Amino acid sequence: MSSTEQGTSSAAPAEPTTAPESAAAPEVPESFYYVHGKDKVVHKVSAGALQHSALIHGMISNLGYTEEQAKANPFPFENIDGDILQMVVDWCNQHKGKPTPPEDTNLPKQKEKLFDLVLAVNYLEIKELLTYCCKQVAMMVKGKSPEEIREIWMIPTDAEDEAAEKEAKKRAGKEAAGETAAAAGDAK
Amino acid sequence: MPISLLSLPIADLQYALNCMDVSDLIAFSLCSKRTKNLVKSSNREIESISAKVDENRVRICIMAEIYREDANTRYYRNVVFKLFDSYIELHRNCGIEVWRKQEFTQSHWIAHILSIFDKSMIEELQICQACPIPYLDTVKKIILKCQKLEIRDRCPNDFAKIAISKLSSLAVEMVEINKNIFDDENDISKFLTLNLTSVSLCDHETPFKLKLEDLLTTNIAKLIIRTAIITEKELNRFVKLWIKGSQRFCRLEYIRLHLEDGIEMNRQEVFKGVKYQVTEDLGNLFALTRQDGKELRGSIEGTLILLLFR
Repeated sequence: MSSTEQGTSSAAPAEPTTAPESAAAPEVPESFYYVHGKDKVVHKVSAGALQHSALIHGMISNLGYTEEQAKANPFPFENIDGDILQMVVDWCNQHKGKPTPPEDTNLPKQKEKLFDLVLAVNYLEIKELLTYCCKQVAMMVKGKSPEEIREIWMIPTDAEDEAAEKEAKKRAGKEAAGETAAAAGDAK
Repeated sequence: MPISLLSLPIADLQYALNCMDVSDLIAFSLCSKRTKNLVKSSNREIESISAKVDENRVRICIMAEIYREDANTRYYRNVVFKLFDSYIELHRNCGIEVWRKQEFTQSHWIAHILSIFDKSMIEELQICQACPIPYLDTVKKIILKCQKLEIRDRCPNDFAKIAISKLSSLAVEMVEINKNIFDDENDISKFLTLNLTSVSLCDHETPFKLKLEDLLTTNIAKLIIRTAIITEKELNRFVKLWIKGSQRFCRLEYIRLHLEDGIEMNRQEVFKGVKYQVTEDLGNLFALTRQDGKELRGSIEGTLILLLFR
């Protein structure tokens, strides 16, 4: 298993030099967690950066891992491609403890990547990033005609939708018939 | 792997739709029945939707707020398109785009737009200038109902009268005429007998001359005239006839008349021989009650006459 170290630079606390003694708060060492996607590449992320994800934040709170346990048990996100998870981790690190700006110009412009990012971010429950991504999705069709939008967003025609619906119904009917036959067989 | 917008989780999809400008949203709604329903369920609010008739074409104008989540100031933009059977011409980005939908007539285009923005009718139908008379029948077929019909001042008088006779029944709330189109005294009398809810006549250059008979025969519930010419004597006779409880005036709810600048009504003259109360603490309002309990309230202040019937 390969490993990339993410967010380590922000882990070292700056030495307080001029702060008066009475105001100096005790330094709490930052804890780190580990995540990996479909490609099994492990990313080390600070707890502060991971606070953006409601899903991971909830997992951390529920599991109560020590740093050693966390290192030994990276959170697996097998449904997220490695490069997409890398983007998410980068974004979380960049926006750690900062107010989120109204626009984010670093998001991918390629349609496939953006859609995968939306699905991943939706799964990880990162609200601010999801907002940016959805805006980016909307921007893809700015000033486009219905025909162009159909092409960009791969929207089926009414006839295609109807055919798909018929097919789904047919499949559901077959499955139901199969279950009934199996139940009858069991009863015998 | 094919990826489509419609495969996004519904909440994300709706959020993306919320970020879109109205013209993009309309384009998206035209892709399929499914996209139309998605736009409908996004509950996008628009400021207004009006139809303008110029020469022989209907233009639809949608005023909507521009999407700016982070801004405190609201910005609005007009989306304007001309209607044709099977296509529309959209004026956007300093150019004209053509969107086609083979099976759509002009009525279909309007029905589609009203449906996606959850509107039951066009809010304002403006007749901006003269068009061929038969085209007014087409307009009537395309726009089944509107809240307000407005006849603009560029319409010639004869055309405006025909437009009113053909289209006033479409207006469920108000008919507004921005020009004195009434050439002789009979004209305005005839117009005021139309069964309309609310009428606003507006012309500052050529005031509307009103006679007692005009007020007696009116079948309009709410009448606003700016600028009107009427004498104190005629108003006095009108008030006296109202007190007698004539069968007329059954529909009248209010009359608001704005007189010409510099002409002021003398209230004493208007109420000569009539018993009435004045409540000076409430802005010099007058009130009088007739035998059947009906009330006439209002005010005569400077160039404004307001009569409220209850």
